Amino acid sequence: MPKSIHIDPSETRTRGVLDAASIQIHAYDRSISDEQSVRGDAELIEAYRHMLLLRAFESGIASLKATGSFGDLTYAYKGPAHLSIGQEAAAVGAAMALAPGDHIYGSHRSHSEFLAKGFSAIRRLGDNELTSIMEGHASGQLLRSVETHLSGATPTEMAENFLLLGFLAEIFMRANGFNGGMGGSMHAFFPPFGAYPNNAIVGASAGIATGAALWMKSEKRDSIAVSMLGDGSTGCGPVWEAMNFAGMAQFDHLWDTKGGLPVLFFFTNNFYAMGGQTNGETMAWDRLARIGSGFRADAFHAETVDGTNPLAVADAVSRQRAHLLEGRGPAILDIECYRFSGHSTTDVNAYRTKDEIAAWQAVDPIQSYRTSLIDAGLIEDAAAVEMERQTDALIQAVFRAAADPDVSPIVNIAQDPTLIGRKMFTHGSTPPAHAPSSPLIEPAKVVRIRQNAKKSRSGFDNDGALLSPLKAITLRDGLFEATLHHMLTDPRILIYGEECREWGGAFGVYRGLSELFPNDRVFNSPISEAAIVATAIGAAMEGARPVIELMYADFIGRAGDEIFNQLAKWQAMSDQSLSIPVVLRCSVGSKYGAQHSQDWSGLAAHIPGLKVVYPATPFDAKGLLSASIACDDPVVFFESQRLYDRVEQFQSAVPPEDYHIDIGIPDIKRIGSDVTILTIGPSLYPALEAAELLAAKRIEAEVIDARTLVPFDYDKIIKSLEKTGLLLIVSEACERGSFAMTLASNLTRFAFSVLNAAPHVLGSPNWIVPGADMEDTYFPQPADIVDTVMIDLINDQKHTQIGVRKWNDISLAKEGL
Amino acid sequence: MSQVELIMPELGNEITEAQVDLWHKSVGDSVAEGEEILTITTPKVTMDLEAPATGTLTKILVEEDDIAAIGAVLAIIDR
Repeated sequence: MPKSIHIDPSETRTRGVLDAASIQIHAYDRSISDEQSVRGDAELIEAYRHMLLLRAFESGIASLKATGSFGDLTYAYKGPAHLSIGQEAAAVGAAMALAPGDHIYGSHRSHSEFLAKGFSAIRRLGDNELTSIMEGHASGQLLRSVETHLSGATPTEMAENFLLLGFLAEIFMRANGFNGGMGGSMHAFFPPFGAYPNNAIVGASAGIATGAALWMKSEKRDSIAVSMLGDGSTGCGPVWEAMNFAGMAQFDHLWDTKGGLPVLFFFTNNFYAMGGQTNGETMAWDRLARIGSGFRADAFHAETVDGTNPLAVADAVSRQRAHLLEGRGPAILDIECYRFSGHSTTDVNAYRTKDEIAAWQAVDPIQSYRTSLIDAGLIEDAAAVEMERQTDALIQAVFRAAADPDVSPIVNIAQDPTLIGRKMFTHGSTPPAHAPSSPLIEPAKVVRIRQNAKKSRSGFDNDGALLSPLKAITLRDGLFEATLHHMLTDPRILIYGEECREWGGAFGVYRGLSELFPNDRVFNSPISEAAIVATAIGAAMEGARPVIELMYADFIGRAGDEIFNQLAKWQAMSDQSLSIPVVLRCSVGSKYGAQHSQDWSGLAAHIPGLKVVYPATPFDAKGLLSASIACDDPVVFFESQRLYDRVEQFQSAVPPEDYHIDIGIPDIKRIGSDVTILTIGPSLYPALEAAELLAAKRIEAEVIDARTLVPFDYDKIIKSLEKTGLLLIVSEACERGSFAMTLASNLTRFAFSVLNAAPHVLGSPNWIVPGADMEDTYFPQPADIVDTVMIDLINDQKHTQIGVRKWNDISLAKEGL
Repeated sequence: MSQVELIMPELGNEITEAQVDLWHKSVGDSVAEGEEILTITTPKVTMDLEAPATGTLTKILVEEDDIAAIGAVLAIIDR
């Protein structure tokens, strides 16, 4: 909503016609001799050798899956085998046109994409660079294995063998695999060769590659990101969100460095999404390339390309790469080819005819290309046969080395039971290498900052009365100050989400930031939660530290895969070769009913790999957000909308300077000796009110604010229980499956010997959040807390229930409630 | 000559008061209808208020940093 873009009704209401760009289909018409003069004979012959290597490699996996053996090797490979036999020209052609600094983000059918990109990078990198990369990986251990078992006459040859062994060992989930065995077939990658994560989730690379391109643009790199996708992914919403995000007009209109994102959406179109036929059955498009017209007059330069010819693919990718580096991105390519192998080893081709398969085998990319090389006199028949024999022999040797536990050690969990667990978080904090550019204006001139400077840092006035949120630092201000500090000191911080710029976020947390920072540091995203999160992950993989906002925690569902499968998992799946320092801020609403008021912190806590924070005071919010932004691990940061205007009631002041609070430590907010009330998020405040009501009954409650869910230090709670013997956990999340239940279950075990009664959870009931007028019958109120303490924990027969929760939990459970 | 009041506007159903942040004009200055003469803030938003009439700003009733309720008279313009 920048005021600089005027929407003029007289223009928008004028009669007219929208023109669509023409989309080229199979425009490539160069001859081999044309290519010889451009590329030289050696590159053309190498393309053939690379395709042979890909075919032999995947045929080996196919053979292991089908027969348990390959050549003289017997090995039971248990993992997935999503093969791309028949699609080699697409992978090799793309890689031919990419520089080592260009990064591909793979699909789930990506063995060939990965290997081809690696071979291409190896051809372009110098001997010294290759040696340094290989020595630098895993302290040179993989290179030592290659030297001993596969060798190589030159650094280039050694690097190819290094690539093949590191990749296959990863597919076999061995400790010497590129990702320490933590990734496997669908999550193997090696960034030094520009091969970034491939992805088991169809279409997931679209948003991640878009985010990578976003950071490449910010850093003004001379490189592009490529999202490797299949035709089936055009049915995935997040792919459309990513394409729209990549094409946002603001990159041309509002950013200082003009130009679209340098991302190529490379669709390897094999006509089938597993068994559903995309063309003619499951998609609306007649030709995949047509989807480019859905976005912009230039149709993202979309083209349909003959994916059976590596040179046609290389030509198209080269031209698109040039568009992207000129700032005319994004781009789309529809690479038509055919998968001879099944989708997976359980595929019996129930969805296609033998005639169809045979017709495509007649235009097998490897055979066709070999014929064209022989016809042009580049290679003799006998030499081509010998090359195939050599590549087959090499691949057999690689398979033997990858399967041999003496060369490729099995990941030994029995010997080290928490090994995988230790991959989840680094708990590190990497400072910026340099300071960012100066802000657009002096910070002291920003109204928000000027006002905060005049506010009381304590929430109380001199007479002990609570101050108005206009007169004292609020939780919202604490979040602002933490963010501002990092924005002013760390150029890697990137802030975006819906309405984050001029509006300052829907709840004003960022109010004032847009006066200080240009669009490339704070910008408005489209209403695309999946793209917001996915792009943050991609940008983080390239070195950024995005702080992104989901307007309501209820919208986590719109970014489910991105949060739960991508954000949470890449640090571990990469064996921590990638760090994902993303802070995902989610506000928890109220008053708007069932779809805008849910506390889903327990959902985030359930998924391994996410740190989860939920502060309730200005002091905690500022210190925890600052710690979260500084932290190298992904953090989901919950904020209650009802608490944004809270002033500080517990600490004497919210310090104006930056400070960190360690993530994972609960905090005692009220000392007591009779009952421990552990709260999550905003439940702190009704618990404190209840504590006063209980005090009138001579029951002193100790109120502890969890502050964070993951990690969680139980020691402080156990120590409190040693004193009180009674535990109530209060949370606004509905009770079933909640994090409060996890705490109750664990604390029952950890502190059983000191407990005088079963711990009790007081959450919200297992039905929808009602609208504003009924909310106090839903979220736990002080009266409900008093009732639970008096009836369930103390068993006071004289207590008369004062709250509304007059129901029986066992009966409700029978009704699904 | 008549007097026109500058009123603290409605700012949403939960906002009962707002803070006067910065007067862009002083008593005695000429103002034009629609001219932004005052910045106010709530915890969520910062916004400028426009002069409701062309004339002379004759009275400022709420000083900078003070808080005024919704509907309060902030200034008087003589026209």
